Amino acid sequence: MTPSEKNGAAIAPPNGRRAKKPKKNGRPEAPSRFYGTPLPGVKLEELSGTLFVLEGTDGSGRSTQISLLTEWLESEGFAVQTMGLRRSFLVGADIDALMAENSVTRTTLSLMYSTDFFDQLERRILPALRSGLIVLADRYIFTLIARSAVRGIGRDYLHGIYEMALRPDLTFWLNVRPEIAFDREFKKAQTISYWESGRDMSLSNDLFQSFIRYQSLIKKEFEYLSKRHGFIELDGEGSVSDVNRVLRKQIAKHLGIRSTHYQPSHALSHLWR
Amino acid sequence: MRLHPGIFHMATVLPDITVDAEAAPVKLRAAKREYPGALVVVEGIDGSGKSTQLYLLKRWLEIGGYRIHFTEWNSSPLVKSATRRGKQRRLLTPTTFSLLHAADFADRCERQILPLLHGGYLVLADRYIYTAFARDAARGCSPRWLRNLYSFAPTPDITFYFRAPLDVAVNRIVAGRPKLKYYEAGMDLGLSLDRAESFRIFQERILGNYDQMIETDHFVLMDGTVPVNKLQKLMRQILGDKVDLAQFAPNKK
Repeated sequence: MTPSEKNGAAIAPPNGRRAKKPKKNGRPEAPSRFYGTPLPGVKLEELSGTLFVLEGTDGSGRSTQISLLTEWLESEGFAVQTMGLRRSFLVGADIDALMAENSVTRTTLSLMYSTDFFDQLERRILPALRSGLIVLADRYIFTLIARSAVRGIGRDYLHGIYEMALRPDLTFWLNVRPEIAFDREFKKAQTISYWESGRDMSLSNDLFQSFIRYQSLIKKEFEYLSKRHGFIELDGEGSVSDVNRVLRKQIAKHLGIRSTHYQPSHALSHLWR
Repeated sequence: MRLHPGIFHMATVLPDITVDAEAAPVKLRAAKREYPGALVVVEGIDGSGKSTQLYLLKRWLEIGGYRIHFTEWNSSPLVKSATRRGKQRRLLTPTTFSLLHAADFADRCERQILPLLHGGYLVLADRYIYTAFARDAARGCSPRWLRNLYSFAPTPDITFYFRAPLDVAVNRIVAGRPKLKYYEAGMDLGLSLDRAESFRIFQERILGNYDQMIETDHFVLMDGTVPVNKLQKLMRQILGDKVDLAQFAPNKK
């Protein structure tokens, strides 16, 4: 456990539902809602909403599941807010522009993503959680940490930056083999993008090899992150409906709702395969 | 910061993969003798006279034909548009303000400062990471978080800290500028509705934060009230004592 996590654990859990009895060694079992130093000016007791995170590499089916979960939760009467990478008003478009050029360096890109993340956290997620909404995050700090770590940026450095991030209520990891992810991504775009295949890392001149090596490195990082942060690992190679059923079950349990029955509407039925 | 022995488990995976040499892990507190160049920075609150002095030092070295490069805080074109937009629309919180400036600094560090240091240049920086430490901590960011954020930056060979009494510094700025900018005056902190007053309180906090770093970060204290030419003479003398200028002289390669 890092010093920052120790500090975080010292902060009282925000409400009774999350509070658990201290273990025998006296350390509280329930972690704080922040990893370390909380964001300046945030009152934890105001955050009545719930944050669910879906993580997984490109082609793991995250976005499909987010669409389906949003519809299901809304039909159950929950208001949903979503977040994802490069969606901040402050720098979202700037990151797209940086990535289109070949001049951006790894630390700059990493910090631009951090800016993007914290802008969304402060301007979109925290207000939503204060209003009692359910936030579904299409990727979170873990993808950002993994991508930077495989490029040689220190893991402690990255965890240090994101210690002010809000700890999710549940983090799901849709785990797929790189080969399967390749098939899915290729089918989607008829090619493989520069960043998805980690071409900035000079892993291989062959796109397939580069993609597999890059995604394997990312997967290794996720295996480490999964242990460290207690992910719920799901088989992302299962059918959409199977994965969705497991997600609904876990989320329903966390929210304390019984009904997990769901059939996608006509608008989303094409995703149900 | 403490390194966890178990964290670098990837080291066993990386060797059979051709990652370019540049992708080595970022060193915490990069050792300053890993390159032949030298880094000299000036720090201090607005109006302390640091920019004037660094300009004169730069001119002296330029005229002498030395291998030097001058770099300023907040000047890289890559993130300039985002910074400007954030400031104009007042979208920045202490955290995003800090991260955006760090991204900007990282760009300058990785694309200018580090290559020049490795290429044997004497790099002169008008403001460096201590500006972020003093200013962002005054906005409420955690000092420990800030230290980590900038841990990729090389440690300067000399940090000249220009210190002038608060009134002297503030009057120099307020007299010279018709209107203080929103973030410059620290208006986002709600210290005062009056911009000049807010600026003063903000600068006072920054000054206090700078003073705390004098010993821990080995600042060379420069009295900003000393006449310009005398102070410049002293600055050149200290530079000559601490940095082997012959290494950057024109006759050498």
